[in-house]
Amino acid sequence: MTAITVRDLSRSYGGFEAVRRVSFEVARGEIFALLGRNGAGKTTTLELLAGFQRPDAGQVRVLGLDPVKDRRAVRRSTGIMLQEAGFFPDLTVNQTAESWRAFVPSARPAFEALELAGLLQKAAVKVRQLSGGEKRRLDLALALLGRPKVLFLDEPTTGMDPEGRRATWEVVRSLADEGTAILLTTHYLDEAQQLARSVAIMDKGEIVTTGGMAEILAAGTGRVIFEALPGIDPSSLPLPVRVEGGRWVCSADDPDLAAQTLLGWAAAQGVRLRGLEVRTASLEELFLEVGTDA
Amino acid sequence: MRETLTVARFAGRLYWRDRVVLTVGLALPLGLGIGLPVMMHRLGATADTRTHLGVLAMVFTIIAFQQAAITLTARRDQLVAKRMRATGLGDGSILAGEIANIALQAVVQVMIISVALWVMGVLPPPAQPVLFAAWVVVGAIVLAALGAAFTVVVPRAELAPVLAMPFFMLAGLGSGGFGPLIELLPGWVAQVLGWWPGIAVADALGETYTGGTDYLPAILRVGAGVILAALVIHRAFRWEPRR
Ligand SMILES: Nc1ncnc2c1ncn2[C@@H]1O[C@H](COP(=O)(O)OP(=O)(O)O)[C@@H](O)[C@H]1O
Ligand SMILES: [Mg+2]
Repeated sequence: MTAITVRDLSRSYGGFEAVRRVSFEVARGEIFALLGRNGAGKTTTLELLAGFQRPDAGQVRVLGLDPVKDRRAVRRSTGIMLQEAGFFPDLTVNQTAESWRAFVPSARPAFEALELAGLLQKAAVKVRQLSGGEKRRLDLALALLGRPKVLFLDEPTTGMDPEGRRATWEVVRSLADEGTAILLTTHYLDEAQQLARSVAIMDKGEIVTTGGMAEILAAGTGRVIFEALPGIDPSSLPLPVRVEGGRWVCSADDPDLAAQTLLGWAAAQGVRLRGLEVRTASLEELFLEVGTDA
Repeated sequence: MRETLTVARFAGRLYWRDRVVLTVGLALPLGLGIGLPVMMHRLGATADTRTHLGVLAMVFTIIAFQQAAITLTARRDQLVAKRMRATGLGDGSILAGEIANIALQAVVQVMIISVALWVMGVLPPPAQPVLFAAWVVVGAIVLAALGAAFTVVVPRAELAPVLAMPFFMLAGLGSGGFGPLIELLPGWVAQVLGWWPGIAVADALGETYTGGTDYLPAILRVGAGVILAALVIHRAFRWEPRR
């Protein structure tokens, strides 16, 4: 069942189009990633979905409701982790969660939300003493207080250490497994890859590609890299390679398959591919790819 | 209503934790409100209700109007207002709750000042104590609401105290809180300044002291203040800092 529907959504600031004719859908239990560089329009899109701003054109439905007109009804079943929002620095983590519980109908116990966010051992610490990553966890805890059916996460792991990121991904996955629809924005390709089955890549306010994570990654340029083979003419390889310094690089939509082909060829030739690396496309490479024909 | 009370209770807890508020927003008005009339009394001058009411007009202006402007611009600039809006709370409940808290603190302070002056024998009690209390509540609410509306023209939270300060000075001038300066100025000045709800309420409070019945001018002026505040908030209140 669809939890979020966005059709031809547009929003301008002055003459500047921050979001242009964006469309996508997110189902219950699905994690959908809006992936894009800074300034792509991800936050604007998310704030339009959460009813913080009014669209200039297009239609948004969250749980079948208009987030601007029915904002309170939508908010009651929605959790939001804004990219930027303030805390009261002199309250402790627990005081913050307890205060916020009063604002959320049928809230979870504070300790439960803090535990989910991995912040229970910091419950007695003042917010001003938290690290950036810990504040992000508190953000997550507050977003989860109302047991939301729809969760908006705007760059949820910015400032977190690797362990914190992995823990957050775990929580997000388990929430989705319980049926929460999750819309996530990120500029980390690995985050989208870890979490989302579907993704839309945004650039300059537009969705330039959308689809399954796996297909999009495959469509982008992957690479197989290995050390130059002495005495062998690069053009004699079964796949085209370019010479980059002392290394040979083979670009391919499916780098795993290309690596297999090259390894098979090498085995038949009796040579070894030293320093073999198989890389899927990075976000920047995806943009170079999709950006040029956009 | 329940939400408004929730917000007001939360804002109240923050208010009493904030040392700046407690020193500037509490010590100053109490010191001014009680200290000035007491001093005049001790010096042998007639500490009449006029001085007291003039000071109250100023006190309302600092602790309701200015404090509302400071608190709400800070909530806005620190992006806490935005976070509050991300919950199930309605915009109206958030604003009403914040205004209610500030109005309550103002009511408490004005009551402390007035009761203290009576207990210390500086002033007689109001002839109509219930009406007195009612007008204190009205004054606190309308000035806090105007303070919320005033945030519209405050570009950054740090500027809120400075920008609100002229209203304090004008309230003092127009109400006679600075002494009878106003009588040296042309009559229209007093008339214009009299539209400031702090002064209008002080006039009404004066009636409750003397047992007079002439409340209509105050009702009109306070009503105008309420309508102005509501219009500005409805049209132009900003929940987020400009970017
Ligand atoms: N309130 C605003 N006023 C003017 N420009 C804005 C405003 N909000 C966002 N923008 C602009 O819109 C573009 C998209 O911003 P944003 O949605 O925050 O991008 P992202 O979240 O992908 O980094 C940016 O160029 C940004 O400067
Ligand atoms: Mg953003």
